[in-house]
Amino acid sequence: MTRFSPRKSMNLLLSYVALSLIGLFAVFPFLWTFAISITDKTVASGVSIFDFPASLFPKAITFNNFIEVYTVFNLQKYLINSLIITSLTVVGTLIVSAMAAYPLAKLEFPGRDIIFGAMLATLVLPSETNFIVNVLTLNKIGLLGTYWGVVIPTIATAFGIFVMRQAYISIPSSLLEAARIDGATELQIIWRIMIPLARPALTALGIFTLVNTWNSYFWASVALLGADDLQPLSVAMLKLKGQFNHDSFNVAAGAMIMMIPVLIVFVAAQKLFMRGLEGAVK
Amino acid sequence: MRKSSLTITAYMLLLPALLLMAVFTFYPVLYGSYLGFTKYTAANLGSNTPPSWIGLENFRTVLSDELFRIGLINSLKYLIIVPILQLASLGVAVLVNRQIPGIAIFRAAYYIPVITSITLASVMWEWVFTRDGLLNWVLEVFRIIDPKSSFGWLLNPNTALWAIMLVTFWRGFGYYMVLYLGGLQSIPSELEEAALLDGASTWQRFWKITVPLMRPTILLCSLLSSLAAIRVLEEIIVFTNGGPLNSTYTVLMYVYQKSFGLDFDYGVASAAGLLLAIVGFILSYINFRVTREDAPTRGAKV
Amino acid sequence: MKKRWLLLASAFGALGLTALAQSKVEIEFWSWYLSPKFDPYLKGVISQFEAANPTISVKLVDKQDTMERDLQAAIALGKSPDVVNLWSDATAAAAQNGLLTPVTDLTSIADLRAQFWDNTLAMFIVDGKNYGYPWYGWTDQGVMAYNSEILKKAGVTRVPKTISELLTASKLIKQRTGSYGWLPPVKDPNGASFLGQFYLEGLPLFAGGKAAFNSPKHITLLQKFIELMKGDFIPQDLLRKEAFQLNNEYYSQGKSAFIVGGAQALVRVKDANKDIYSKTKVVPAPLGAGGVQTGGSMSLVVPKASKFQKEAGLFAMFMSNNKAQVQFSKLAGIVPTTKGAENDPELKAANPNDALDVATSLVSGTGRFITPGWNPPKNTDNVYKNFNDNIEAAFLGSKSARQALNDAVAFWNANAK
Repeated sequence: MTRFSPRKSMNLLLSYVALSLIGLFAVFPFLWTFAISITDKTVASGVSIFDFPASLFPKAITFNNFIEVYTVFNLQKYLINSLIITSLTVVGTLIVSAMAAYPLAKLEFPGRDIIFGAMLATLVLPSETNFIVNVLTLNKIGLLGTYWGVVIPTIATAFGIFVMRQAYISIPSSLLEAARIDGATELQIIWRIMIPLARPALTALGIFTLVNTWNSYFWASVALLGADDLQPLSVAMLKLKGQFNHDSFNVAAGAMIMMIPVLIVFVAAQKLFMRGLEGAVK
Repeated sequence: MRKSSLTITAYMLLLPALLLMAVFTFYPVLYGSYLGFTKYTAANLGSNTPPSWIGLENFRTVLSDELFRIGLINSLKYLIIVPILQLASLGVAVLVNRQIPGIAIFRAAYYIPVITSITLASVMWEWVFTRDGLLNWVLEVFRIIDPKSSFGWLLNPNTALWAIMLVTFWRGFGYYMVLYLGGLQSIPSELEEAALLDGASTWQRFWKITVPLMRPTILLCSLLSSLAAIRVLEEIIVFTNGGPLNSTYTVLMYVYQKSFGLDFDYGVASAAGLLLAIVGFILSYINFRVTREDAPTRGAKV
Repeated sequence: MKKRWLLLASAFGALGLTALAQSKVEIEFWSWYLSPKFDPYLKGVISQFEAANPTISVKLVDKQDTMERDLQAAIALGKSPDVVNLWSDATAAAAQNGLLTPVTDLTSIADLRAQFWDNTLAMFIVDGKNYGYPWYGWTDQGVMAYNSEILKKAGVTRVPKTISELLTASKLIKQRTGSYGWLPPVKDPNGASFLGQFYLEGLPLFAGGKAAFNSPKHITLLQKFIELMKGDFIPQDLLRKEAFQLNNEYYSQGKSAFIVGGAQALVRVKDANKDIYSKTKVVPAPLGAGGVQTGGSMSLVVPKASKFQKEAGLFAMFMSNNKAQVQFSKLAGIVPTTKGAENDPELKAANPNDALDVATSLVSGTGRFITPGWNPPKNTDNVYKNFNDNIEAAFLGSKSARQALNDAVAFWNANAK
């Protein structure tokens, strides 16, 4: 251990102050919204969310706002839809990316650079109006208005393949050669060597996809045109402001209901997640 | 293993990804680009007639439309966020790239804005920016502004775009921090220690060692961030819809408004989208050139 | 030979008939911003319709801010809904682009006139043809609800009777209590609200078929509102959000004193804050110098691409019939567009001390008076956007009121063809 030095502990203290200030910037909207969501709004003459600093520290606490939002919107149905769509998308993305990244990282074959370049180009292409054509395509193949219709167009992404490719590249090729000499097929190599060693990247990609899918509303609302029973929570949440435009407390409660599941997953897996994403640019 | 069978294996593994991308990414881009050269509006839908080729007509319409010009300027203005966001993220990454107690909590906290959906972020930040909101309260408490002269940040044409940029910054710095952390960990610690022995200050070490060594990662992140910046849309829709006085009206807002509604003009929307893509290509090209020249010192295997 | 043909034909005929008897048509109905609050009501009316028409079933879908996009996509995909709830501008835009069936193709004009007030039918006439069944209506004035506590605190003893009195009272209330008075619509996202302010004060909007809302009187009126916003007597948020929403929000948080409009706003106040609701009193709304009221109505339209036109027409008539609208009025405080509602005993105030009951009884029979004041111009989206941009520029001080109105008139006359 290093010797005690006043300058060092001063530095450390300053670091913690800086870290905390940045932390406050990052989470204060979340904390405030949480405070609003548990505020009892039924007290006389009305509570204003802009009554500072009182609105940051609610005096009377209640879970009624949550119950009201949950029952008015019948959220259970949407929660289940969200779970199904999100898990299908995560699994699909992981399989497609883990497979496609292997040849791009470890095999020499004609056309490799062109394919990789084309995939990266999708990051620049004008994709904002793609959804219109995609809806037409889904309609033609009969998937419009189904869970698969939401999932399939989103699982092959340049980002996913890129993250996995970077993870594979850092695995020493000598391991692969050894396995080949032992007679392993390429599929066996992926399954037994690459995937176990790329676990942090897979986790990171999984969580990244999970968060994005859970939060995205635009594509889901289009691909589920005419199938309102299948719509995810994010789409239902859009109706929140329409229904409760006069009731910020319920809006806040709805926001929390939407946010808490991802928050739990993220906190639970955050160590692996950070490691995996860091690997992407190492 | 024979070379041809290796090639077959490679393509088999790539097949699902390539097929999906061909159908759901490349085909729509090509078809959408084609529509940019056609007349395709709501009236086509009403009379059930297919798009008809009109050459460069839509591009002329777009380029002579003042709204498009306003949008382009605002989209380019949005690029200002890029250097600020990147330097701040790198700084934060340096700050959390240490083994001190509790650091994991801070890293996780910084990532929370990234996992907040834009719809929820809009709810939270609207309450911050409104005239009676949190931001003005803080400024009034610290006597920075007079309550009488306070204003809603999203309502003032001089501040609205900046307010939205702040939200982009808030949602982005945790994301880029994580990417930079990866790069930082590949910097040999001997370099840092040597500089410390030379008596370099934290500030000097950041500019003289960290920034130059991290250049490849910085360039990659800047590219991603620039492309996102000129294509900003969701934030605009949820906060201001382009107002006040079109001060937050971006190119994609133009594309969006032209492609929706029962008055849609999809040909014009596609043409505007194509023009924006060209700007994106130019930015990427510049970035690519700079990265190339930098090749000898590259640390990121991109 | 002939006989066999006959046999075959009759066999087919029989088959066809049984098939017809068994086949049930499912039509899709898109409502706008009504779910989940009014789901029970809508489903109730639908089941009455299904009981009366056993061969038709109705699927209810509620669309919100994606309505136009989804309708456009659904039509392009050949999955068009059959009956759609639109509003005035959207009905005009869809009709101009040939997306809708004229309702007179489905229901005789005599039947339409028997059910609806002529003024409500007229709102959805585009190029001389009716394109919408007027559904539920509202009045922009109708009643005024006020928070008696705030008025007392501000020392306002006389309840305003005209719009200019209301604005004076609003100033006073803001100065003495910090709460706003009234939040007038100046720039709602849909439509061109400030035209309404002109109309209420009796200022003409058009002259000889051309836009003409830039006389000195128009300019003075706009200037008056600009001053109010400058002094923060009306909130700047009115430039960003719908006045209806903002009124609800402010009023139910005790931050504004008056709500002018139909009874539907009170429904939300009642949900949000019982205490404020109990302090609410209701009187007839103050009017402008024009002595006129404005209002509007939703439409039910049938897309041309719908596969079940006849059934759609039947359902739209049923959904908008007097009984259903009266029921809706009691629930939501809307103004029925049906002639029958005027003397409907169900709409008399049951409890003279309940704000909502009083409000509903005051406005529910006024369907014959609701009129938007003008019909949306052609090229609606662009013309209204330009008008609103100019109004906004005047409020934010980047243009003078005169300049803004001159520019808006010039653009209007050049583009609304």
